[in-house]
Amino acid sequence: MCLGSGGVLADQFYLIAHEDRTGRSRLHPRATGIGLAASLLGELILDNKLRIFAGDLEIVSNQPPRDGLDHAVLDLLIAQPQHRDVRTWLAYLSQDSADRVGQRLERSGAVESVTRRRMLSTQTFYMPNNELQRNAAAWAPMRLANILVRGLDMSITDRVLAGLIAATGLTRHVLWDFEAHRSAFAVLPNTVASLPEDLRQLIEHTEASVGSVLAVGRR
Amino acid sequence: MVHKDPAEPDIITSALARNRLGVPSVVFFGVAGAAPLTVIIGAISAIYAIIGNTAVPVVYLVTAGILSIFTVGFVAMSRHIVNSGAFYAYISHGLGRVAGVGAAFVALPAYALMQIGLFGLFGSAASDILAALGLKVGWFTCALVAWAVVSVLGLLWVDLSGKVLAVLLVAEISVVLIYDLVMIAHPAGGSVSFATLNPAPLFTADVGPMLVLAIAGFVGFEATVVLSEEAKDPKRTIARATHLAVILAGLLCGLSAWAMSVTTGPDQVVAAAQEHRTDMVFELVGPHVPEILVQLGYILFMTSVFAALLAFHAAVARYQFALGREGVLPAAWGRTHPRTGAPLLGSVTQSVLAVVVLSAYAAAGLEPLFYVFAWLTTIGGLGVLILMWSASFAVLAFFVRNRGRENVWRSQIAPMIAFLLLSAVLGITVIGFGELLQVSGDSPFQWLVPVLYCVVAAIGVGWALVMRAARPEAYAAIGRGVDGRTIALPEGPPLTKGSHEPVGARGYHY
Repeated sequence: MCLGSGGVLADQFYLIAHEDRTGRSRLHPRATGIGLAASLLGELILDNKLRIFAGDLEIVSNQPPRDGLDHAVLDLLIAQPQHRDVRTWLAYLSQDSADRVGQRLERSGAVESVTRRRMLSTQTFYMPNNELQRNAAAWAPMRLANILVRGLDMSITDRVLAGLIAATGLTRHVLWDFEAHRSAFAVLPNTVASLPEDLRQLIEHTEASVGSVLAVGRR
Repeated sequence: MVHKDPAEPDIITSALARNRLGVPSVVFFGVAGAAPLTVIIGAISAIYAIIGNTAVPVVYLVTAGILSIFTVGFVAMSRHIVNSGAFYAYISHGLGRVAGVGAAFVALPAYALMQIGLFGLFGSAASDILAALGLKVGWFTCALVAWAVVSVLGLLWVDLSGKVLAVLLVAEISVVLIYDLVMIAHPAGGSVSFATLNPAPLFTADVGPMLVLAIAGFVGFEATVVLSEEAKDPKRTIARATHLAVILAGLLCGLSAWAMSVTTGPDQVVAAAQEHRTDMVFELVGPHVPEILVQLGYILFMTSVFAALLAFHAAVARYQFALGREGVLPAAWGRTHPRTGAPLLGSVTQSVLAVVVLSAYAAAGLEPLFYVFAWLTTIGGLGVLILMWSASFAVLAFFVRNRGRENVWRSQIAPMIAFLLLSAVLGITVIGFGELLQVSGDSPFQWLVPVLYCVVAAIGVGWALVMRAARPEAYAAIGRGVDGRTIALPEGPPLTKGSHEPVGARGYHY
């Protein structure tokens, strides 16, 4: 997968945040939703469409993004200028971010949708189904761990990804081997600290939102 | 939902509101900790029995009044601080971080002890019920079963604002109202007496102990502010719901306490309470209602105590989670179970503490209803009272520094009245605390408990000073609560050029 094309951040986060075998979220569903919402905003920031200034979103460019989902999010941001608070947008986008990123992954062929019947309803999971897809999905957390452990030069997208992984509580999943990944734990704070100010703010707001959502414990 | 502006709410607002809590849900959340049936069956009879004063109905109404006034400033301040999770956050924002950490150290044992005390009530009541069915099971065994279930549910972080809780609470309140009607319809001597509504007996030495016992019954209403980010209209929903929770609990308890005295006669209510303890209400209504209604009452009583146990467990775990998140406790307390989001270590700590304390009681062979339930909830209640008192002062201090954010009543008059009232209550409680625990004159428990709270507060203050010296960046974040971060970022000037440069000046390198 080529890093650098639009939409990579949320896709990678999605693949790390979901079990490749069952398609279920590894985190509390609301934490995953917030992480994906932040990834979508992050994609727009990385694409120079958006920035964050003192907790408020600020539209920099209304040139349409190449990616369809990013385009839809940016359109909504432009259409609702009365809401600027990052926390508001994280809460709003988190409501359906898992489905929307899942659908984008399906369009790109990285996952397939599987509908399962539950007691009274049906639920759609977006999960890798063939060998190629499963390999790509399993590679997502390993790739990040690899970069962190070896201390390789990280792209800005990967640094944001690492920050969001830590902010939502997936660090232990990516860096699962405490001994082998020890050096990565030391690198992690610096990768976040070296980000531009608005991406750091995005990660901080994500972490705060996740914290208050988890403290309440509602679904 | 009330719209202030004539324009229709936009899609963002309405989409967010759809998933959020309205006033009833928040009230249920607040009342769950102060489970009405637990208070009415467990606490009111205990106050009648232990204090022996008949002014219990008035005490509940007075307490509801004091707490309502306190709530005015409390919810007003909750609108202006980021993290409104707990009392210590208010205290750190109002009185400074050092006092905040001191308060947090008081809060941890206070809430923990209240929950452990409830295990005593549960164990004793369950053991009695099983005995009536012919099964001889000790209170400790019953308490252990409840403990195990609470520990597991605590780790699963079961949603406490759920529909099950709402249904249980509505059923509880209905049963309480039916019982009250039955008791009032069968007054002693054929005429309804209003003697216990006379406030005169309040002006005796009993008032302090009675007030702290009554306040212990309300504990949990302050948890509503945790939901401020989950509420439909953060500005109004929480305020209304918190007031409603306090008034609802106060009226219900006051009415029930009065109804009990009506049916026994004001002169007999103390004797009846001392004889029947937690069975008092059931014994009183038993002759006048169908058998099934009494049995239903017993079941709902158990579920109510259980809901309160869960609510307090969650509250303690949440407290430790918030403190871990912001670095006051070790960061491990700030971690959650990935899938369920449960604050693992906080939950486990409380479970372990509970089982240790309960085992110690069982080993010492102490009577559960008095020494576990009454003692521990009273001691915990004193801690919460100290917190409320400091929080009321913090509200005052906060609005002195942030003038004009709220109107004069909310920001100055009500907090000032609440502070004075709570100071008086705290003062007489501390003086009469030995009497509250019913220990003899030369027992160390006469003075030990308030002193211990001072000691833990002092340890907290000391810890805050250590943090200020050793970890200034963590110290600066105190009071942010669950908003605190888990990744420790090195502090210092931003490594980029900052965000004031013109658009497009930053090049991102993919």
